[in-house]
Amino acid sequence: MARVEFRQVRKEFKDDHKGTFTAVAGSDFVIEDKEFVVFVGPSGCGKTTSLRMIAGLEKQTSGDIVIGDRIVNDLHPKDRDIAMVFQDYALYPHMTIRENLSFGLKNLKKPKAYIDEQVQNAASILGLEAMLERKPRELSGGQRQRVAVGRAIVRDPQVFLFDEPLSNLDAKLRVQMRVELGELHKRLGATIVYVTHDQVEAMTLGERIVVMNHGDIQQVASPKELYASPRNMFVAGFIGSPAMNFIDAHIEGTQVKVEGTSFTLPADVLERLNSYQGKRVILGLRPEHIFGDDVAPNVPQDHMLQARVQVVEHLGSENLLYFRLGSRTVTAKVHPETHAYVGMDKTFVLDMRKAHFFDPETEMAIGQE
Amino acid sequence: MSASFKPQMIPEQLSMSPYERFFAKTDAWRWLYNSLLISIILTVTNVFFASLAGYAFAKLKFPGSQAVFWVLLGTMMIPAQVTLIPLYILMVNVFDLGDTYTAIILPAAVSVGNIFLMKQFMSTLPTSLIHAARIDACSEFGIFWKVILPMAKPGIAVLAIFTFVASWNEFFWPFLITNSNEMRTVQVGLASFVFAESTDFGAMMAGATIGALPMIILFFSLQRYFLQGITIGAVKG
Repeated sequence: MARVEFRQVRKEFKDDHKGTFTAVAGSDFVIEDKEFVVFVGPSGCGKTTSLRMIAGLEKQTSGDIVIGDRIVNDLHPKDRDIAMVFQDYALYPHMTIRENLSFGLKNLKKPKAYIDEQVQNAASILGLEAMLERKPRELSGGQRQRVAVGRAIVRDPQVFLFDEPLSNLDAKLRVQMRVELGELHKRLGATIVYVTHDQVEAMTLGERIVVMNHGDIQQVASPKELYASPRNMFVAGFIGSPAMNFIDAHIEGTQVKVEGTSFTLPADVLERLNSYQGKRVILGLRPEHIFGDDVAPNVPQDHMLQARVQVVEHLGSENLLYFRLGSRTVTAKVHPETHAYVGMDKTFVLDMRKAHFFDPETEMAIGQE
Repeated sequence: MSASFKPQMIPEQLSMSPYERFFAKTDAWRWLYNSLLISIILTVTNVFFASLAGYAFAKLKFPGSQAVFWVLLGTMMIPAQVTLIPLYILMVNVFDLGDTYTAIILPAAVSVGNIFLMKQFMSTLPTSLIHAARIDACSEFGIFWKVILPMAKPGIAVLAIFTFVASWNEFFWPFLITNSNEMRTVQVGLASFVFAESTDFGAMMAGATIGALPMIILFFSLQRYFLQGITIGAVKG
């Protein structure tokens, strides 16, 4: 297994009609040996392009890509010692599962005994023994997905690359496969680079997550850190569901003023906001940090505001309440026993210890480096 | 004799003598052999070259691919009659290939129409399979041979049938390029029943029937491919 490094990697696509499009704008990061790293971001953010550059399916415009201790810029995909699982599985439809699994090793001219052993091993890890002689069309979506993973396992590569492998599965199967992939990583002890647009997949699978937008890396951090200390408004809004609320606010003295209401800020927060005295800031508060006043466990009751409930969504395990604050709609994820109905004037408790503050111009988090 | 020929809607008596004349007085078996040989070779060359070119245009990135493709398509607008004389001069005077199989086959070894057909078909195959094969250490020709061609079977079947029928029915170019009796194809051979002052319609029709039979059998046994061929590229699947 091996580490993967991007050194100032840039990728531009030239189009006769649309001109030059920058897919990846000078990325720098290191994926450590045996690490499970997830690239996440909205469509067109450059995550898949980054993965395809590691695979060698796209050549970067500039910069170096290192796998293990080799610069692989000019190496053919087959020489990079990687294996890739594709979004649409990309199984060869005219071959049996056994032939699909052994195709790569045959091309590498490995001995037959070794190929048989590897195929058998992958099949037993993934529970595919009974279907080795079948064709891909005779398999269900989940089984095809397993074969696609198996095709990567038999290669015993330095790095596994996954390109949105679960996006074609239904919700239930996706959860099951997600768990299996996590276990597989522990079992194989492999370096895995995984691309997804699904933040739940990213948070549950990734040891570290690379958040991308418009070809730029926004933040590289552990799931916990991304959630607790997002570097900017994009990361704050992208990680977490429902998304973080952004509320226009003013800092005045020890107070933050929000739509006619003002709260006293905790001392440590105030310290961070020193240079913003008398200025506008964006207050970021996650929906799970806003409570109804009737069910607000362990939250200081000193930051409260009143608003009219506009929408109530019952999700069973929790309720989502939507209310207006100035020009913004704010979401609160509250306990299901919280008393609320549409049109009700409700008092909400805000847990300001969990509040984030952003510069309205740069959209960067205030007081974080 | 031609003046005295009175066509009858229903013959007075059934006779197989035109068939006997067709086989006895001509090199009919040789013509059928020629037609079959040429059609088979042309089918193989067209399938091979059109698939290769179609794959390249549909899936490979190379500088000027669009331009080359449009130039190729543009050549379809030139009527075949226009190129006939230059082609004849090229084959007979320059390459000295008059009255040979090579001269009949070479100009039709691959057609732009077939390249276009295969490009349309290849475009429908998922590109991720090509990438998967590339990562699976498959050579570029290996990708074409082991991954693309097996998946392209329906398209190839259509191409093969269309090419075989067109080659079997081709008249003008073989007529122009062949001189000797034994180099004729069955379609050209039929014309030899037209004499200076008369035409042996009986034998000619018998020959036409024999010549059409393989096509009729082919059509009915492979009907679904013919229909598929008409819609390739027309309907996105």
